[in-house]
Amino acid sequence: MRRNKVASIVCALVLCAGGLAAQAVTPAGQTLPEVPHPVAAPDFELKDLDGVPHKLTDYRGKVVVLNFWATWCPPCRYEMPSMQRGWEKAQADDIVFLGVNVGEDADTVFMFLADYSVEFPLLLDMDAKVIKQYQVVGLPTTYIIDPQGRLTHRVVGSREWDDAALLNVLRGLLPKP
Amino acid sequence: MLGRMRWQSMTYSSWTRTLPWKSWQPGLMGLLSVLGGGVVAQTEVGTGIDADAGLPYWEIREPGMSLRLVQRLPDQTRAFFLARGFARTDVDLIAQSCVFQTIFKNTSQTAQPSVLEYNLRDWRVRTADAAHGMKTREDWAEEWAARGSPQRARIAFEWALFPTRQAYNPGDYNWGMSVFNLPPDSRFDLEIVWQQYGSRHTHVLRDIHCAPDISTPETSTPATPTPATPEAP
Repeated sequence: MRRNKVASIVCALVLCAGGLAAQAVTPAGQTLPEVPHPVAAPDFELKDLDGVPHKLTDYRGKVVVLNFWATWCPPCRYEMPSMQRGWEKAQADDIVFLGVNVGEDADTVFMFLADYSVEFPLLLDMDAKVIKQYQVVGLPTTYIIDPQGRLTHRVVGSREWDDAALLNVLRGLLPKP
Repeated sequence: MLGRMRWQSMTYSSWTRTLPWKSWQPGLMGLLSVLGGGVVAQTEVGTGIDADAGLPYWEIREPGMSLRLVQRLPDQTRAFFLARGFARTDVDLIAQSCVFQTIFKNTSQTAQPSVLEYNLRDWRVRTADAAHGMKTREDWAEEWAARGSPQRARIAFEWALFPTRQAYNPGDYNWGMSVFNLPPDSRFDLEIVWQQYGSRHTHVLRDIHCAPDISTPETSTPATPTPATPEAP
């Protein structure tokens, strides 16, 4: 019941708001559309490939790049190397990348990792419950969650996540020193 | 490389082709452009061979959007869904329903940014003697539930299929499989509908060709696709 309520709020404020989301276009022509009315990101707990549980609230105080993906999805595969590079560039800045794989098991993701070097946590949403909570419609979809745990940006389709201008938008969400 | 390719350009979408006074069209379009002061919809449609897939594609591009349909071979579709837990009979049903890879993009970010929205239930598939709606994720979910298909397979199918409805901010896009619910080797026209720049746009992509099924009878069980929302052509 509570999950349905949270999902409805996410839908109403994030996806169904209508109108044009505010956004900048980077010199590389990339966009990072803002959520018109940031709402609390639904909490979840998912295991990574080693069986270690990760709760979203474990990352409160950091910027979270939450990417929903699958190994068979062409744009997901396309953007994964740039996510790794983005993670390498931003990990010293309290910016966390989490990949949520939808509907596949650990063995399948391990096979994917034979071809793609990914060091940030890859979590398994095998029964697709978390992706439903986030009202995702298509893969890949990436949410940006600010240090207060609010959904601030929503990206549908791939991006070059190591784009300096795009990473600067993420850094701008961190508390000023 | 686009490979073999045919392109044609139109103004203000395909409806202009129906204007009766062809000699008036350039002047009329110019006048409308000046009066409208907005985005002039210069439409490009084309077909060719997709460089990545090595298979035929059909495409439309307008300022702010692009849509490409890339043919999928029935055996490609069989292999994909067999590997994700579907039974052979289920896989044949999908593979023999005319599947295309669909890539729909909101490309308005560098010109006049505008949200793009669509609903597949507005689209129509037209053959020489009939027309029907798209078979969506929700239609298929009912079918898989009735057939008792495994959850793992159903999840993969849901996310592999092109979304029924979507709103793309500038720069957003999706890939996904579209199912046109026609036998292999069929030809059809597709009426596409989307909303952008505060108005409804329509375009008909013509003479799209479903891939033939070259499986041998020993390896393939014929499956009859169930039409979705039949209606008059």
